[in-house]
Amino acid sequence: MTMSRLIRSELRKLTTTRMPFAFLVVLVLIASLTAFAVISGTDMDGSKSFIATAGDQQSLMAFAFNAFMGAGLFGAIAVSREYGHNTVVPTFLASPRRHRAVAAQLVAVAVGGCVLSLVGAGLTVAAVAVSLLTTDYTFLVSGGNVLRVVLAAGYCGAAGAVLGAGIGAIVRNVGGAVTLTVFTFFVAPPLVVQLANGTASWMPANLANVVSGTIDDVSQLGALFALTVWAGIPAVAGLVAVQRRDIV
Amino acid sequence: MADVKETAPTSPAGAAKAGRAARVPTPNGGHALDVVHVTKRYGGRTVVDDLTFSVPPGRVTGFLGPNGSGKSTTMKILLDLAAADGGQASIGGRRYRELSDPAGTVGAMIESDAFHPGRSGRNHLRILADATGIRHGRVDDVLEQVDLAGAADRRVGAYSLGMRQRLGLAAALLGQPPVLLLDEPGNGLDPQGVRAVRSLLRDHAAEGGTVFVSSHLLAEVEHLVDDVIVINEGRLITQGSLADLLESASLVRPTDPAGLASTLEAAGADVRSDGDGRLVVRGMPISEIGDRAFGAGIALHELSPHAGSLEELFLAWTAEQPQQVETIQP
Repeated sequence: MTMSRLIRSELRKLTTTRMPFAFLVVLVLIASLTAFAVISGTDMDGSKSFIATAGDQQSLMAFAFNAFMGAGLFGAIAVSREYGHNTVVPTFLASPRRHRAVAAQLVAVAVGGCVLSLVGAGLTVAAVAVSLLTTDYTFLVSGGNVLRVVLAAGYCGAAGAVLGAGIGAIVRNVGGAVTLTVFTFFVAPPLVVQLANGTASWMPANLANVVSGTIDDVSQLGALFALTVWAGIPAVAGLVAVQRRDIV
Repeated sequence: MADVKETAPTSPAGAAKAGRAARVPTPNGGHALDVVHVTKRYGGRTVVDDLTFSVPPGRVTGFLGPNGSGKSTTMKILLDLAAADGGQASIGGRRYRELSDPAGTVGAMIESDAFHPGRSGRNHLRILADATGIRHGRVDDVLEQVDLAGAADRRVGAYSLGMRQRLGLAAALLGQPPVLLLDEPGNGLDPQGVRAVRSLLRDHAAEGGTVFVSSHLLAEVEHLVDDVIVINEGRLITQGSLADLLESASLVRPTDPAGLASTLEAAGADVRSDGDGRLVVRGMPISEIGDRAFGAGIALHELSPHAGSLEELFLAWTAEQPQQVETIQP
């Protein structure tokens, strides 16, 4: 009962500012750029072979890593601004057992990240489908694979948002949280791969493509689990940090 | 505050009346606030130092101290927003986080600007109502109560300081709690707003509620509180009934002010000259002042109880760290 109330409260927080709408605008832009690429883009030889097969088109539509990154920023901003605006004070007054409040926050940003990512994936699929009408190629991706691309985006969006939220809870500053989230997506993976051979398959971009069905470096289940671990580590760290910290 | 008047003109009396009309009597379960030997350090700095006091229900208690004296930290420790390094702080005998219904027990306004500027005042309160299981109809009630209904759907970023204070107060009142714990509630309010808040808090205490208010607006505190707790550099300076504290000084007009001052100071009294040959003496009964003047062979032309202002007292209390705590029980 308490958790459902807190989750409802956190969802209302997300929907009563302009932030989700700003992310929606970005999603429309991404879909528009994808459509533009299909309509105007060519390979080196001037052909459009990059959209010639079902696999090519599925790769073009695969939105999962975009979802992971975008939702990561969404989660990081949503949680860190709570500290920036001090709205964490009424939150912890309403729920002095902080782990509940933070857990509700994680669930809410996961839902928000998932929904935004589903919308983003849907827009991208629609953009590819519509823009293919202007080319000599037809839409070749099966309904099952379209569904897989969209669901993969939804899952990665939820996981990315939880990762970002965890970072936001640790850093508590919007600029710092965004920077660390971007670092986690773009700087940390190459460093990890350099330090530990054979880990490339377990980096978020690769895992997102596995889940989308465009590559099969690792098993689906393994990829889903690994993405959950990527999201879970900062989330748990954030949960622990919030429990111990004074709100000053 | 002008913004409020444009959108929802209300007389001070009307605001107070609206406040009373919207109030539901608060049940008082004897929710005293107890701070017992609380110590808090940040780094090597002690901001609250072995602080002990009680705030009884049914009275308005002012929590006074200079900036940085540890008032906000103490309030945060009471609300479990900060952890004490030593001692205990409780509300009705329990820690805040152990209360079964925190929002229905304590209404707190601890940060003056704990709002997202892009969110409307109404949505801010709805979020709190959702989190605490309070019906949304109550949001409209408290918005009326603090005279903010007309601006409730505007973004908080467009609110004046006074309107934000009212919104913070509305949030504190949302759960109809018997305990109100407010940090600087009068900040930024216009005189009408100050008066309405004063009326609201006095009514709350009269109904048996506990009201604990920190403020640096001493003139306002003087009109509002029954008791005061004064701290400086994290340590308790004095506590007790404001009326008794104000009357705890004596005015003396001796033939030898300097001689009497040194005699009384040597006996432990706090002596200040008013610059006109008269001395204001604290910390010594009026009869003892007479006896010691007589013993020193100094004639007195006047010896009477002196009712000073709270500001005068506050400056005396916080000018230097006293050797011992002065406590006056009503």
